[in-house]
Amino acid sequence: MIDPLYLEGVIKILFVFVLISAALIISTRSLASVLNTYTAQSFLLAAVSFLLYLIEGKNELLLLAGLTLASKVLLIPHFINRIEEKIKIRRDLDFTYLEPTTSLLLSIGLILLSYTFLSRVFGDLALSKLFFFGAVIGLSLTLMGMLVMFSRKKVITKALGYLSMENGVLMLGIFVTELPFILEVLIVIDLIILVLLTSILAVGLDSSIEEYRAKIRKLQIWNGGEAL
Amino acid sequence: MNSLLEALMYGAFAALFSGTVLPLLYRSKNARKASFGLSFISSVLLLGFAGTILYTGKGVLFPAISFLPGLDFTLGADRLSAGFVLLIAAVVPGVSIYSLEYTEHAKSEAGKDLQAALTNLFILAMLLVVLAGNMVVFLIFWEIMSLSSLLLVLHDYSSEENKKAGFFYFVMTNLSTAFLFLGFISLFRLTGSAELGLGSVEPGALTLPFLCLFTGFGIKAGLVPFHKWLPYAHPAAPSGVSALMSGVMLKVAVYGFLRFLLAVPSPELWWGVLVLTVGSLSALFGVIYALKESDIKRLLAYSSIENIGIIFIGIGLYVIFKAEGLPALALMSLTGACFHAFNHALFKSLLFLCAGSVVHATGTRNIEAFGGLVKSMPVTSALFLIGSVSIAALPPANGFAGELLLYQAFFQASALNDPLLTVLLVIALSGFALAGALAAALFVKLFGITCLALPRSEESRLAKEVPKLMLVGAAVPAAFCILAGLFSKQLLSLAGLDVEYPDLLLLGLLLGLIYAALFLAVRAKDKNGKGEGPARISETWGCGAPTLAPSMEYSSAGFSEPLVMILKSIYRTRIVHTPKYLDGQESLFKNGDVEIRLLRFFEEYLYIPPARAIESISKRVARLQNGKLDSYVLYAFLAVIALILATGVLV
Repeated sequence: MIDPLYLEGVIKILFVFVLISAALIISTRSLASVLNTYTAQSFLLAAVSFLLYLIEGKNELLLLAGLTLASKVLLIPHFINRIEEKIKIRRDLDFTYLEPTTSLLLSIGLILLSYTFLSRVFGDLALSKLFFFGAVIGLSLTLMGMLVMFSRKKVITKALGYLSMENGVLMLGIFVTELPFILEVLIVIDLIILVLLTSILAVGLDSSIEEYRAKIRKLQIWNGGEAL
Repeated sequence: MNSLLEALMYGAFAALFSGTVLPLLYRSKNARKASFGLSFISSVLLLGFAGTILYTGKGVLFPAISFLPGLDFTLGADRLSAGFVLLIAAVVPGVSIYSLEYTEHAKSEAGKDLQAALTNLFILAMLLVVLAGNMVVFLIFWEIMSLSSLLLVLHDYSSEENKKAGFFYFVMTNLSTAFLFLGFISLFRLTGSAELGLGSVEPGALTLPFLCLFTGFGIKAGLVPFHKWLPYAHPAAPSGVSALMSGVMLKVAVYGFLRFLLAVPSPELWWGVLVLTVGSLSALFGVIYALKESDIKRLLAYSSIENIGIIFIGIGLYVIFKAEGLPALALMSLTGACFHAFNHALFKSLLFLCAGSVVHATGTRNIEAFGGLVKSMPVTSALFLIGSVSIAALPPANGFAGELLLYQAFFQASALNDPLLTVLLVIALSGFALAGALAAALFVKLFGITCLALPRSEESRLAKEVPKLMLVGAAVPAAFCILAGLFSKQLLSLAGLDVEYPDLLLLGLLLGLIYAALFLAVRAKDKNGKGEGPARISETWGCGAPTLAPSMEYSSAGFSEPLVMILKSIYRTRIVHTPKYLDGQESLFKNGDVEIRLLRFFEEYLYIPPARAIESISKRVARLQNGKLDSYVLYAFLAVIALILATGVLV
């Protein structure tokens, strides 16, 4: 067996990489590298989950690691990759509300906020340091994912922001909440994402939201395009 | 004894409930008839129920059904609720008989079924509000009452006017419920229980609940300045429903307020002063606005505002006398208020039913287009006369009986030690007396213009008497009006209220004898005089015109013109001339406009400014909804951050 303290050290290092990946998703302009970063982030999560399994020995963690690896490292990136090939757009250069630099500065604020907030909320629970940091990073990852969702214009980047946000929820789940419940929810959410991606693919991913709406209206997928 | 009461009560519930369901299940004329029959039966049962409790003075509490943890569904009745149950039971029979026929004239089959079902539901809800044993039950049925009446107001939702009325009513009734919620919640915080009683609470702590409940019930009862919904909602509803709304629903609000007020062991003096002031203002403004109105149902609605004002005058007097330690006078004022509520329910429902008949026969609500109906609709006119006599408070009809009690209470204002209070009471008394006089003038106008003289329009000339059932329906409250007037002393003592009060039966008999003697005398003189007696038939002098056309008659506007002129500072009528001249010296007149402007005081100063403010805030908020996905996610993001910050601060 490997020494748990050593494993904890590795996990803490992985945390740093998770944060770096989140920052990259916020600031990278090339779609391909956003996708790669997301894949790497998911892989890091799977690794964290696996290492945690080695420390704690809970089977659910192993299951989770496997599931993450299968869906988020292999399936979804593959899927999005195919889309990216189809739409022949390499870069996402449009931002709303926030430019990447501001976003980065803001995300530092978000991490600090999550830290203060969680140290207040979990102060009494006497969580071990590792779990506490896991929760902080999970929460900040969620918020940063949300940040991506409203600051990037292209639909595909938004989807990746959403996926990254969901990674944050997963992380928070691993470190704070009971597992089996969250596991099920995760699977459901992942499925929903897949369905969403497919439906977006059907209409045209290469557009910003405004163009996308115009396309949908033209296609008359829903009756009465005014409702959109 | 209790089992009998329970049987009567549950019988009434069952009747009203099946009356609600039946027309919805079996959509036929017979089902509707059965439905109104059931509400009639329920009222008979209720009459027994309320009468027993009032006579024995023993309250009854029904076994509680607990349907939520910590919350029992309790129903109970004491003398106060029994009095209001009696009020419902007195109005419902006439309305149900009347509606048997009246409902059949609705536009669509579904509309007829709905009217029958909702009327029953409306009655049931009002009954349950009065019997509610705790605040939650009270509020639940209060809402059902409001919603069922709202649907009834909207029965003809295709017309713009009704839609507006419904919307106005909806807003006001929700406002009322909001205030009630506030009041009940603050009471709950004080007492820690949802029961309607108060236990021992310091009177000083009750200021907030009192103000909230007074506003909430005041809106529903139609007190000035919250009265504006009445003149919209009453004309829009079917006549039977207007009778119920004006006759009963407003009283349910009065009941709620009394229920609170009587639970307070020692109400404060300023409460009484406030209630008395608002009541006096309502009485005066109601009748003053009614005088100017030419829509018959709207006029009646304004008159309801006046009568609610009178009831609140009685309640205000009760509080003042109670706070000053004069229990006998307090009881007299309270009895006066309750009795007037009862009487108003009777004659106002009678008047609304008659108005419904008139409108049904002529097809218009405009008083100016009536006239001469006493020839074409004699029975309706006679019933209308009874209603008018009652509401104008002429002895021995019941309107007089209730107001007499209040006058008696007023006249003993000298018993108060505080000279300022005495002055206030004298001022209120003068307002009350003025309102009474104006009300008499109002109904002279209404009856005179509607039923007497020559028909002013083709519709009025061709009007036919309404079907028998509608006449019988209106005759029931008319009979009650006379009986309640004649036997007022006996009724009050049967209900266990021993107040100093003259016996109107004697007075009534005396008056009857005098009238009969006069009538016979005139008749006798006519017969033996061979046409030389007072029955000389000839043309009246027509100012030289060859024939008198109906359009030359005294019109409703003409009748009220002197009063309108006297009270023009209240109506705020302004005559605006804008002349134009041909030359600079303004000596050669070219043309110009003259207009009479009516300031709708309460609307323009009380309702429109907040409405504008809300509108401008809404416009700003609406800008947030810009249709951009990014903004929406940003809002969610900001909300999450705010939530996190808030939780962090609070924890």
